[in-house]
Amino acid sequence: MKTSPDRQPLTQAPIHRRSFLGMLAAGAAVIGVPSLLSACGGTASTGSSNAGGVALTSDHLPTYVPITYVEPDYPSVNGSVPGFETIPTELVQSIKAPPGKGSSFTAMTPLWGTPPPTSGNAYYAAVDEMLGSTLKFQIADGNEYGTVLATALAAPKDLPDWVSVPTWNIPPRFATEVVPNVFQDITQYVSGDKIKKWPNLANIPTAAWKYSSFDGKVYGLPFPTGVINDAIFYRDDVLTGLGITPDVTNGQDLIDLMVEVTDPATKRYGAHDMWTAATIIHGVVPKWKVGDDGQLLHRVETEEYRAALEWNAAVFASGAVHPDVDNTWAKQLFWDGEVVILNDGIGSWHENLAQMLSTNPTWSQKPFAPFGADGGEPTYFKGNPCNIFSFLKKTDDEDRILELLDLANVIAAPFGTVEFDLIANGVEGVHYERGADGLPVPTDLAKTELQPTYMFLVDGPETNARVQYPGFVKASSEFSQLAAGYAEEPVFWGLQISEPDQYASIGQPFEDLEKDISRGRKSITDLDAAVATWKSAGGDELRGFYQHLLDES
Amino acid sequence: MSTTTEAKAPEPAGVAASTSSTRKPRPAVRKIKLSTRLKRDRSMLLMTLPAVLLLVVFAYIPMMGNVIAWQKFSPYTGFFFSPWVGWENFVRVFSNPQFLNAVENTLFITLFQIVFYFPVPIVLALLLNSVLSPRLKTSIQAIVYLPHFFSWVLVITIFQQMFGGAGLISQALRAAGREPLTIMSNPDTFLVLVTSQAIWKDAGWGIIIFLAALSTVDPSQYEAAAVDGAGKWRRMWHITLPALRPVIILLLILRLGDALTVGFEQLYLQRDAVGAARSEVIDTYVYFQGVQYGDWGFAAAAGLMKGVVSLALVLGANKLAHVFGEAGVYKKS
Repeated sequence: MKTSPDRQPLTQAPIHRRSFLGMLAAGAAVIGVPSLLSACGGTASTGSSNAGGVALTSDHLPTYVPITYVEPDYPSVNGSVPGFETIPTELVQSIKAPPGKGSSFTAMTPLWGTPPPTSGNAYYAAVDEMLGSTLKFQIADGNEYGTVLATALAAPKDLPDWVSVPTWNIPPRFATEVVPNVFQDITQYVSGDKIKKWPNLANIPTAAWKYSSFDGKVYGLPFPTGVINDAIFYRDDVLTGLGITPDVTNGQDLIDLMVEVTDPATKRYGAHDMWTAATIIHGVVPKWKVGDDGQLLHRVETEEYRAALEWNAAVFASGAVHPDVDNTWAKQLFWDGEVVILNDGIGSWHENLAQMLSTNPTWSQKPFAPFGADGGEPTYFKGNPCNIFSFLKKTDDEDRILELLDLANVIAAPFGTVEFDLIANGVEGVHYERGADGLPVPTDLAKTELQPTYMFLVDGPETNARVQYPGFVKASSEFSQLAAGYAEEPVFWGLQISEPDQYASIGQPFEDLEKDISRGRKSITDLDAAVATWKSAGGDELRGFYQHLLDES
Repeated sequence: MSTTTEAKAPEPAGVAASTSSTRKPRPAVRKIKLSTRLKRDRSMLLMTLPAVLLLVVFAYIPMMGNVIAWQKFSPYTGFFFSPWVGWENFVRVFSNPQFLNAVENTLFITLFQIVFYFPVPIVLALLLNSVLSPRLKTSIQAIVYLPHFFSWVLVITIFQQMFGGAGLISQALRAAGREPLTIMSNPDTFLVLVTSQAIWKDAGWGIIIFLAALSTVDPSQYEAAAVDGAGKWRRMWHITLPALRPVIILLLILRLGDALTVGFEQLYLQRDAVGAARSEVIDTYVYFQGVQYGDWGFAAAAGLMKGVVSLALVLGANKLAHVFGEAGVYKKS
């Protein structure tokens, strides 16, 4: 196998402290030891990989050539999303002419909202014109997308040309049985410097490409995201109304605050189910942790996991949790002020503002500054480098693949370009008017036609330029920078690992147990029994599988 | 007994009637040649053909999919190429404590509902039958039918808004200085909760068949009984209930047939609120193992066990019906 320590992806990969990923990649690239399995595998065209489908080299990955059209006001810190306080008035045309050849393609994407009309849609027409080809969308309800996707994948012949796949909807056996049989391996077109043909795709960070690779080959086109996914939010407008200035520096402070704001008589409760918050403040690893002796510990075996469960049980026992947490939609309770503190995805922040500000101009939320449960430094484990990617249907027609990559290059145009602007805002005079402050004000047509669609196929690095919400860019960017400062990569971060499928369901009892212990239906001692069952049901074998991956590096 | 056969009016009657009519003439025609019989029954056979075709296409062919219970099945590999694993999936099913928990919950819910839910429509039908004003009768009918058309999501939301910890009643109790309700999240009373929801939603719908059966009772029987001095309860005991008995037994058998299907959506939606220990049933278990975690062969084996038990229940109940001198769902001539 080739050893190529001089390749760019390695040196240009984002620099992370204590980066296991880096170690793995560097070690593999320098030593370049193929595993027995891949050595037996014979003539893999590109890259080599081990039993878990993890590449041992990185020469299949595209070269990273960052472009910056606009300097951010809040630059990226350790992978945080850069923030922009203003929208540039001079936009750059990143693609000179429509690259498409007039072909027609079908694309399947999720949507969390009302599907726009697919025919007679001025927004799609405008984007198609910019692309030079036609993209026909098959939009499916985001909440049901997993089912739609699983069904579509079982009939590969009828699959659309371009399929968006959210990582949380990945069906079992996707990496082993679906990807290589159904989707196009694009390594030969994008690896190394070949990506430079498509500068906007070359602008996508290496980690996102790595996460879109299966078995040492690039299959996916990423929609990269920032490294901080979750935060603990509170309704600062409600707290201000109560005359409370939150000063939360440890887990007990948070519980005290939740209890303080709880008033059942006025239907106001301190908290929703705070399980995600519990894992954040206790630094619970997403999956595995390397113990002091170099042995892997599964998250359910760690002290942090136990402490998080105990803390969340204490939250429930304090009486601050809304009594209907399990039967009512968390966001609705938060919107209505029935729940004052909630853990949610970072992306929910601006979505909530969009939802609430039109009817309640004083509606507001803020994240707590990161803190550890014991008052010490918190640990934020980085989220996946991309949470959604897309795949091209397998075809022998090379022209179509190249044309689709041309289109992807347009769609992935970064902030500050004409292409980005059209995809984000539509056509001026049709989908938006310039307001007094120069900001685009969406028209009524935009509300029906312009739904987020293209970004689920491929996107440039995430940016935050939601200047329409006063103070939002500053507050969210500062939080992201602060939290990213505590970000660490968990072991195996950013790798697509195909676990043997017999272990798929052994973790399920813990999902129930987390709820049972938190709600006081079971005690923390039940955790020991569950861990013992997990071990005998295949947990130890699964550990062996991952240990092997770790030792290989 | 003319009333009884007519009383089986709506849907199940079709099944009962067709099976008995095809079987009844058998001993008499045994000596006639097959070709003659085919010729003679040609038009009848032709008429049943569409139904048979539908059954074959939508019931019997899909049934063959059960072979995956003996495979390490993957939908991307297909039936033909997935490896065979013998009885391994079944061994795993029976050695899995979660599956046994799911079976236990399913049986508890089934038994509880047969005792406390099944009689409710009968009582409702009897009450409704005693209402004389036709307008009032149809209004009540419309009102009690309506919840049947609500989805489970809606039903549970309504229950939540009424009986939830922050619901209408709890808020009123709080205002009065009492403890709020916890029934929506109390695992110990979950059985009562799901049964009440089922009654609220479907009991009204269930009275249709009983009302149809009641409408076939000849009023002159009541008149004659009244003349003979029989009171209200006597008439119900000696006229109404005997008229309903075949229908009750038929519906009970059919109910047993899908007794182990205890409401996937209803239980799935309330799973987190009361915990899997009480709300996991065979259907939700199969869903998690098969659809969520892709262990299709295992899930199919678990589902197949449910089918086998259901079949045994139907056959057993039918036998029992014969012992009581009823026709049941079917009867050998």
